[in-house]
Amino acid sequence: MTAAIATEGLTKRYGHRGPHPPGAGGVIEALTDLSIEVREGEVFGFLGPNGAGKTTMIRLLLGYLHPSAGRARVLGLDTEHDGLAIRSRVGYLPGGIALYDTMNGLDLLDYLCRLYRRPPARRAALADRLEMSAATLRRPVRDYSRGMRQKMGVIQALQHDPELAILDEPTEGLDPLMQRAFYDILAELKHEGRTIFLSSHILSEVERVCDRVAIIRHGRLVALQEIGELLDSRKRHVEMRLTGPAPSLAGVPGVSGIHVTDGLVTCQLEGDVRPFLAAIDGAAIRDLTIEPAHLEEAFLEYYAEDVDLADASPGRAAGGGA
Amino acid sequence: MDRVLFIRTLQAQRSKLLIVAVALGIWGVLMPLIYAQLIDTPLGARFKEMIDSGLFPAQFAQFGGGNLFTLPGSIALGFIHPIFVAIVCVFAIGFTVAAVAGERQRGTLEVVLARPISRRKAYGSLLGATIVLVGLAILAMVAGTLASSAVFGKLDELDLGQVPLLWLNTVLLYIALGSVALAASVSFDRLAPALGITLGFALVSYFFQILGSLWPDAEPLQPFSLFHYLDPAAILDGTGDPFDLVLLALVTLLVVGWALVVFPRRDLAAPS
Repeated sequence: MTAAIATEGLTKRYGHRGPHPPGAGGVIEALTDLSIEVREGEVFGFLGPNGAGKTTMIRLLLGYLHPSAGRARVLGLDTEHDGLAIRSRVGYLPGGIALYDTMNGLDLLDYLCRLYRRPPARRAALADRLEMSAATLRRPVRDYSRGMRQKMGVIQALQHDPELAILDEPTEGLDPLMQRAFYDILAELKHEGRTIFLSSHILSEVERVCDRVAIIRHGRLVALQEIGELLDSRKRHVEMRLTGPAPSLAGVPGVSGIHVTDGLVTCQLEGDVRPFLAAIDGAAIRDLTIEPAHLEEAFLEYYAEDVDLADASPGRAAGGGA
Repeated sequence: MDRVLFIRTLQAQRSKLLIVAVALGIWGVLMPLIYAQLIDTPLGARFKEMIDSGLFPAQFAQFGGGNLFTLPGSIALGFIHPIFVAIVCVFAIGFTVAAVAGERQRGTLEVVLARPISRRKAYGSLLGATIVLVGLAILAMVAGTLASSAVFGKLDELDLGQVPLLWLNTVLLYIALGSVALAASVSFDRLAPALGITLGFALVSYFFQILGSLWPDAEPLQPFSLFHYLDPAAILDGTGDPFDLVLLALVTLLVVGWALVVFPRRDLAAPS
């Protein structure tokens, strides 16, 4: 399978021109030596807190920014030389999208679609899913709420049926019902073989919709894994209430942090659950809870250093870069 | 030029164009009206006597090269008057500065540039719209002037063959100014610095020209002003200098060339 997005050593520095060394005076390195590959037909999550470099990456892919080093290819095309061809095949939802307030919704969508020279093949279905009625679309954009603007953003990004959708914080401002409708749209796009590159800091969202995830920290890639693999490698919290003696869990593979109190056993479980299940077989268990691992824990683990630093020094914000 | 962007840009400016065109049309009507009042009424004759007496320096009656006591001179005065300059600059500066830097700041430019439009084409569309808007606005002024001259029976005092040249020279001046504004607009992410630089350039340029026309010692400053290369009185008298047209066109080409090189190479960071 070919790559929908491929970057090699992609680096972006602000505040200078030319090949100055990183860390030189006034230079901010927003993205450092980033190499990732997004496969065709997958939903790819790009994770990081504000300022980690997510938006810089997206802007490099779309040609708003020029790389300081490295290169990027989108749908097999070079971002520096084939920007027009790339943008004709991509749909983009910017974070906190700005719209032309004086136009009505329908005219705005027509205008933005005409700039693609492609018919709005998906508009009706998207508007229906996102509950943007014809009457609503005839209203001036200035009257729209934040959520309606975000829906307009989603529609304008996908209405021309792009091969690749690049979505920056797509559910920002959407209520839970509309978030669910949006996830259904993503599932449908994926089913039809479209590729989705989704930048977000809503971890439950990424966990829910993405096949793979990249986590960046201070502009550097710190993890690139299948969501399932990432979660499998996390420790799950186990709580077991007993009516009899506690089973012996010491030495069971994957079990750690065992704590036994009056009728209650808690521990951490990592990897394969079968050795643990075998160890508790026959124990007088009244209740057993194994909390699933969440992406949030994995994410926080990568950012633990920042959290520690922030805790130690309240004036310093976690994350950096641009 | 991108046709869709060009048409949409003009559509977005149509209300403003109507207001500016009406304002300039009325302004165009005023100049021959004032001239007719000065020439044809006793009050005007007394005013002329007062000017001729030397009570006021002659330069004040010939502000910026205009002359209230001839029809071409009074029309020329209308074309260099600060009110006219301010109204035309609604498009020559206001529209152009906001066209890129303003949209960058608001965040709407990135929605447009996410489409398959090159920055050069986007720039070309905005420059094209500027030319159309400035051209139509100045046409309204010319139309008002001609209509008023006809109403007051003064049309025969004008060499009508020179009127298109006056329109062209004026349009070229404001296109040159507009291209400077558009170049500033593509060079900044925020509206304020682009507007500040353009207004500074336009005001200094205008000041040099007017100062030179009022104070002979300041005349050497005039060639450094873009406004120096519009001499409506000379054009209407048939003594206009074609070099003025060439110079304004060259300035425009130079600035447009610079913008076409700079804009595609710029980083467009996320709107703040």
